[in-house]
Amino acid sequence: MTQAIRVEERRQVPGGPIEPTRKPGDGDGPAAPKVDRPDTSDLLKRMKRVDPDAARRYRQRSGE
Amino acid sequence: MQRLMGIETEYGIMVEGLGANDWVSESIALVKCHPGAGVSGWNYRGEDARRDMRGFTVQNLSTNPDDAQFDRPSAPVMSREEERSDRVLANGARLYNDHGHPEYATPECLSLRDLVAQDKAGERIMLASARKRAEARGLAVSLTKNNTDFHGASYGTHENYLMSRSVPTDLLIQALLPFFATRALYAGAGKCGVENEAGRRNPNTFQLSQRADFLSVEASVDTLHNRPLVNTRDEPHAAPTRYRRLHVICGDANMSEHACALKVGTTSLVLRLLEAGLQPSIRLVNPVQSARTVSRDLTFKEPLERVGGPAVTAIEVQRTYLDEAVRRFQGEDEETDWVLAGWTSVLDELGSDYTTLSDRLDWAAKYQLLDGFRRDENLAWGDLAMQSLDLAYHDIDPDQSLYYGLEQAGQMRRFVTDARVGAAVSCPPADTRAALRGLFVQRYGAAVRRIGWNGIAFEFQGEDLLFDMNTLVEANLAEYVGEMVGAGDLEQVVAVIRRTRAADEAGEKLTGFGEDGPTALGEKE
Repeated sequence: MTQAIRVEERRQVPGGPIEPTRKPGDGDGPAAPKVDRPDTSDLLKRMKRVDPDAARRYRQRSGE
Repeated sequence: MQRLMGIETEYGIMVEGLGANDWVSESIALVKCHPGAGVSGWNYRGEDARRDMRGFTVQNLSTNPDDAQFDRPSAPVMSREEERSDRVLANGARLYNDHGHPEYATPECLSLRDLVAQDKAGERIMLASARKRAEARGLAVSLTKNNTDFHGASYGTHENYLMSRSVPTDLLIQALLPFFATRALYAGAGKCGVENEAGRRNPNTFQLSQRADFLSVEASVDTLHNRPLVNTRDEPHAAPTRYRRLHVICGDANMSEHACALKVGTTSLVLRLLEAGLQPSIRLVNPVQSARTVSRDLTFKEPLERVGGPAVTAIEVQRTYLDEAVRRFQGEDEETDWVLAGWTSVLDELGSDYTTLSDRLDWAAKYQLLDGFRRDENLAWGDLAMQSLDLAYHDIDPDQSLYYGLEQAGQMRRFVTDARVGAAVSCPPADTRAALRGLFVQRYGAAVRRIGWNGIAFEFQGEDLLFDMNTLVEANLAEYVGEMVGAGDLEQVVAVIRRTRAADEAGEKLTGFGEDGPTALGEKE
């Protein structure tokens, strides 16, 4: 059996943010989304892009 | 924190041109679009959501009658398995459809950093599934990590804490009511407006909590309707004579990593106080009403009526728990100290200038971001436009989300790195039974017949076996996991399980694994 499992490559280490030994996006599953880093004016533009009527259409079923 | 913990999140779903009567089928389709490794066939062994920890089982759980409007009479009748469409993922998580919401339940974690990373990994897994579904459907699909649709429907973000069953149920409930009624001070995700209240007195309010409007009783087993502050569901997912799984349903979905860690860390410490025999010193006259009062009070000074004493503020209630936790637990380990320091500074800053909290708490970040916009545009908090911005804060697409806009601008404190979140997408925590679940998904998926929180049923050499994980919940399992991962094939895995069981039966408690080893499927179910 040669298929790899990666659980042993990460260990809990308390303290500040920690870099695991794996690179993001290795192996199965989706990679980290790639996005540009906006400044705060980009944030305002992002807010202005929001459809002010979006909440009227947003209907959900009750969950738990 | 050395306690097994997990977070389940039901996401809000929107598909271009479709409506709420499509969300069950769309959620099922989205789950099936998950692009990574996964195994289907959820193991429902030991699950009964009607069982109440107060010692009875209800006939039926309450449901929201408003949901009937979304039921299609022509909808095909599906089995529970078809409707849930469960997938257990390589990281040990569970992905499925729950009442028309795609839901991600993290694997069990022992540390806060693992848990927050796994919760954030859930967003990436959901986003990837939504993008794949959008591509297949030719329609835009968006997901929202929040708890309200602003039309009176709420959906949950549940926390789970494994704890000792020795804490009496009535003590547990009485001690948690004041804590949960006031925890939104730092755990709330913020909300524009008021819902679910006849004759709203002031709909143009900014609230700390998304969920407070939907809590109506102190304690109950219900989750879909008549929701309680303390949920009394009795489903331990572990040896039922020794453990209780506290299923917390009153909390909000956090986008902020810091707020999420504080929410879970403080709650875990309060449970430790109870396990150590602490008696609650404060009882509120009306905890449910207090939760609403706290949610709508940005002065943080509103008095909460107390049994047998003068009224108290929410900050004072929180300090009673904090002071005791500091006295007993400070210096135990780095994560505990992080929680105690963060809890202290939040309560201190709420008493002085709460705008300083906008770099770590969701409600404060949302308030600070939206309030300026609201003033410039002459809008009220309850306006549709504000609620639309509120929804955008919780969008999990980093290109659209207002939360991620803040994070990308460097305005939010991080608790984990992007790399750690990326690793958590496909890696379980290495020190809990989730790693064993992940091992079977990653290596032996073809042999798995049923897989769940507390057991894996699989086929081996023509025999049906059950790997019972009910007792694998207390110890740090890193060493045991290492041995299982080091096994070259399924035969060696079975040998490790059998050897460990034999050692346990001989009195050598190696892993806490011993009540049930592999056995003929059916004997133990």
